[in-house]
Amino acid sequence: MAVCGVACGLWGLWLLLHSLSTDALIRLPLWLGGAVLVDDFLLIPLAIGAGWLLTRWTTVRATLLYVGVTTLIAIPLLLRQGKGVNPTVLSRNYLRDWLVLEATIVLVGVLALVIRLRRADGSAGSSHRRDEQP
Amino acid sequence: MSLRVPTEQSFSSPLHHPRVATVIGRWLGVAVAVCFLTGLFSHLQQSGPGWLFIPTRPASLYRVTQGLHVLSGTMAVPLLLAKLWTVYPKLFARPPWPPSRKAAGMIVERLSILVLVSALALELFTGFLNTLQWYPWPFPFRQTHYALAWIIVGALLVHLAIKFPLITSHWRGTAADREASQGTGLSRRSMFRAVAGAGALVGIASVGQSAPVLGSIAVLAPRKPGIGPQGLPVNRTARDAGVTAVDADWRLTVRGPKQLEYSLDELRALPQNRSALPIACVEGWSQGARWEGVRIRDLLALCGAPMSSRVRVISMEQDGFYTTSELPPQFAADPLTLLALRLNGSDLDLDHGFPARIIAPNRPGVLQTKWVHRLEVLP
Repeated sequence: MAVCGVACGLWGLWLLLHSLSTDALIRLPLWLGGAVLVDDFLLIPLAIGAGWLLTRWTTVRATLLYVGVTTLIAIPLLLRQGKGVNPTVLSRNYLRDWLVLEATIVLVGVLALVIRLRRADGSAGSSHRRDEQP
Repeated sequence: MSLRVPTEQSFSSPLHHPRVATVIGRWLGVAVAVCFLTGLFSHLQQSGPGWLFIPTRPASLYRVTQGLHVLSGTMAVPLLLAKLWTVYPKLFARPPWPPSRKAAGMIVERLSILVLVSALALELFTGFLNTLQWYPWPFPFRQTHYALAWIIVGALLVHLAIKFPLITSHWRGTAADREASQGTGLSRRSMFRAVAGAGALVGIASVGQSAPVLGSIAVLAPRKPGIGPQGLPVNRTARDAGVTAVDADWRLTVRGPKQLEYSLDELRALPQNRSALPIACVEGWSQGARWEGVRIRDLLALCGAPMSSRVRVISMEQDGFYTTSELPPQFAADPLTLLALRLNGSDLDLDHGFPARIIAPNRPGVLQTKWVHRLEVLP
């Protein structure tokens, strides 16, 4: 398997060397490095930080995850809004759609939280639950 | 308070666990495999190597595979992030000292992961931006995207080989998956649910560009079905292609054993046929449409060529990659393949290729050449 992997990787590298200009070949590693830096030192620490702040509430964490991920994907759409190469590309009002999407996610999250809290109250009576998992 | 470089032990959540990494890795692996295979199919469709026979049916095959390509790539974004989150503490693990075989192995493994993560992250990023037709990077998209795909698959196989013992020992669920951990936040199960939910959410919010039923909620997709001239989106407009108004002396030339020339009215007078076929773009969006025009195989018969001939299609397009395309014999012979003159009940819009364009089953949109003015039967 490892040998197959190395072979595939070398084939990809050969394709790169043969289809890209020297200039592009020099800049590509910078973009690859940038992708790692953004992931490892921006997105993941953000997720860990947010998770750490809200360590107890699973519903809140899941909601935050959904908001974060959909926003991440919406960023290019929001940046390019109205700049499509023709009117059929990026024809939506992405700002409005994004706001509606996030509002829906938060609303569903709040509903789920309320339902969970009620259930937890019902099952635990008035006793305080140390491991509350809304 | 002092800031220190974190160590592997700084991350207290029990979710940074090989079992969690295995499960999420499995999902990400499936997404990458689907994305790779569908992408390879698309690449082969476009590069058209002579040894490969591509069937003309199912007519919507390319629509499905390319829709899946973009969908699996988009859904891989939350999966990749979750996977990186899970194994993040490993980033701060220090290789053993003094240097040993073990330390060397760890460094090799780290390098393979660096290749995998950087290539995969950049691949998903460039792929998504390509669906917006936004190219802010200094390298060509198609070639780089294709080469990186092989590098990713290679690095992934190496990664799986290295992690094989760890994967097999954590493949099955354990008691910890079922029990909610006490007071430390997400249990494994709720984390799996949250990550799967994130994948499903971005999937549902973007698949509508290929499945028009969900078009109205495709808020994370660059395309909306039904938007465009004659209710169909356009990738390359006539203006982009350098095609201005087409005047009355336009002629279609068919060069085969006999050379034929048709004006638009003469083409309209030939037997007309209808095909319901999708335009399925490499960028993932697709939409079905009703086409009307002359069968390519009828034109072949008229010029005295066999029904199964390879046909070169030449556009009036000024420049770009797709000013010509080739119909392999099985596509030229297919009764659904048309030189289309009409779309959804009216003459083609200039942006859809007026006066005549190719429409064939199971083909990428870029090969459905528009503004056709010449067909050549190849030997």
